[in-house]
Amino acid sequence: MSEKLYAWLLRLYPAHFREEYGDEALRLFRDRARDERGFFPRLRLWLDLFVDFTISVPREYLHVPAPRVAAAAPPRFNGLPAFYVLQNESPRPAALLFGGALSLVALTTCWVSLNEAHNISNSAAPPFAGARNYQEFSRSSRSESGQTAPRYASSHTARTTAQPGTPDLSERSRIVESAIANVKEHYVDREAAQKMADALAMHEKRGDYNAVADPAAFAALMTQHLREVTPDRHLTFDYFEEPLPPPTVAQGAEVSPQYREAMKQQNCTFEKVEILPRNIGYLKLNSFPDPDVCRVAAMAAMTYVNHADALIFDLRDNRGGSAEMVQLIGAYLFDHPEYWYNPREATSAQSWTQSPVPGSDLAGKPVFILTSSRTISGAEQFSYNLKMLKRATLIGETTAGAAHAGVFHRLDDHFGMGIPEVRAINPYSDGDWAEAGVAPNVQASADAALDIALKLARARLAKK
Amino acid sequence: MPKRTLDPLPSAAFQILLALVGEDLHGYAIMRQVAEQTEGRIRLGPGTLYSSIRSLLENGLIEELDAREDADTGDERRRYYRLSSAGRKLACAEAQRLADVLRVARAKKILRGRYV
Repeated sequence: MSEKLYAWLLRLYPAHFREEYGDEALRLFRDRARDERGFFPRLRLWLDLFVDFTISVPREYLHVPAPRVAAAAPPRFNGLPAFYVLQNESPRPAALLFGGALSLVALTTCWVSLNEAHNISNSAAPPFAGARNYQEFSRSSRSESGQTAPRYASSHTARTTAQPGTPDLSERSRIVESAIANVKEHYVDREAAQKMADALAMHEKRGDYNAVADPAAFAALMTQHLREVTPDRHLTFDYFEEPLPPPTVAQGAEVSPQYREAMKQQNCTFEKVEILPRNIGYLKLNSFPDPDVCRVAAMAAMTYVNHADALIFDLRDNRGGSAEMVQLIGAYLFDHPEYWYNPREATSAQSWTQSPVPGSDLAGKPVFILTSSRTISGAEQFSYNLKMLKRATLIGETTAGAAHAGVFHRLDDHFGMGIPEVRAINPYSDGDWAEAGVAPNVQASADAALDIALKLARARLAKK
Repeated sequence: MPKRTLDPLPSAAFQILLALVGEDLHGYAIMRQVAEQTEGRIRLGPGTLYSSIRSLLENGLIEELDAREDADTGDERRRYYRLSSAGRKLACAEAQRLADVLRVARAKKILRGRYV
């Protein structure tokens, strides 16, 4: 049995070796197997053979046997291409099989590692995108309150940090200090802010942060310590592997020319505005763009679908954006003002939709929203409000779960905090979609969501 | 592709040369002799053994004899190998080189407590 196995394994060697020494090798194996009986000697024999194979098989493939007799060089034909190969025999089935298995292993490894990388970048992307959104949102709240002072920890913004993954201890303590200062200055509840600041200082003094090498784990621990004092899911301490964009204090409320140009090129991210068969309006919207730039585009899109009998908002690729735009589009769907929950704004007269929108016929029409696990931030706010108001049927996957309710504060190139500065009234429940995401009414894979929505819309219209 | 180089001499090849000093041996006998002279530290597998033998043959350091039966057991015809004069010279030079290394090691007293 073991001799047969060894004879089979010998096929791993190239033909020139097998021809020359195959029989000898097999005989040597037979001799050793005869002399080395018992469990341990046999085990040692196979271990020896394993080592022998791993060393000598690759070596033999690299070796070209010296010709026993000098061969005449093959004649070359003029004008014909000539190819030189290391071995003039075609590969054996065993070699092909071996090669196939090796390629499969390599491909699997590649695939797994690529997947890993993809997961990592995916998990890093939303908060990063969120960081930009925070800034976008804080801009609107600033302009309303008239506050123009920089909201960043000024002593740290200009400084570049060490490489990600290796913030040294002194840096750690500076980040903790900066976090304490920001919480005390900005958190909506002064008393809780003081308690959180004390807790962070206590953990810092005890050296709890020194032991955590991984910056993401450090950020998670900070968040945990903050929430132990105040269970507020809008309060976050975040680590960003990619360096955060430099603070843009001077730009204030102005929309950047780059953003304006990008929106122009992308039709304000209204990817599709169509009337589908059975007069079903379909809007594929990939962000909620700033109304300063895109108000006309949004109004045109809503006007285009104004006479549809049902409406599908495809937010599966929507990355959020301006809360003002979220509310502006939502307003078309009601014939009276509705309270519109925005975790980032204190409840005010602005918290009601400007409904009815003159000329809008959409108020009573069935609305469907397609969601995916990538649907995030402003798109979640849109979905959440319409779901809670029972104004839309959500179809697809639970959304990403980023409320970004806190105003973003950049602590340095890699760390930032989301600190809620206002109290918004959530009339539906204590928790919004922060971290949990918005659950759909009809759970389905993102890919299947459109078909299901069309089916439901047709069924609803048929009842009429 | 050139012939496999034996400079520096791989340990397996050197042990095979040493094993062949004094008597002609077939493959399995070489393997056993090498295991014996290294106190079991080196047990040559068939692949390593025959690929070393081939290199030594190609470099003219050993010679292959006509196959014959094992003198002791009388079973099966086997290929025997003999040390060539070039092989003997090379083994000698290698042993000398190691002796030099050993002398230095002794002088540095890194072999403390052991008689080598």
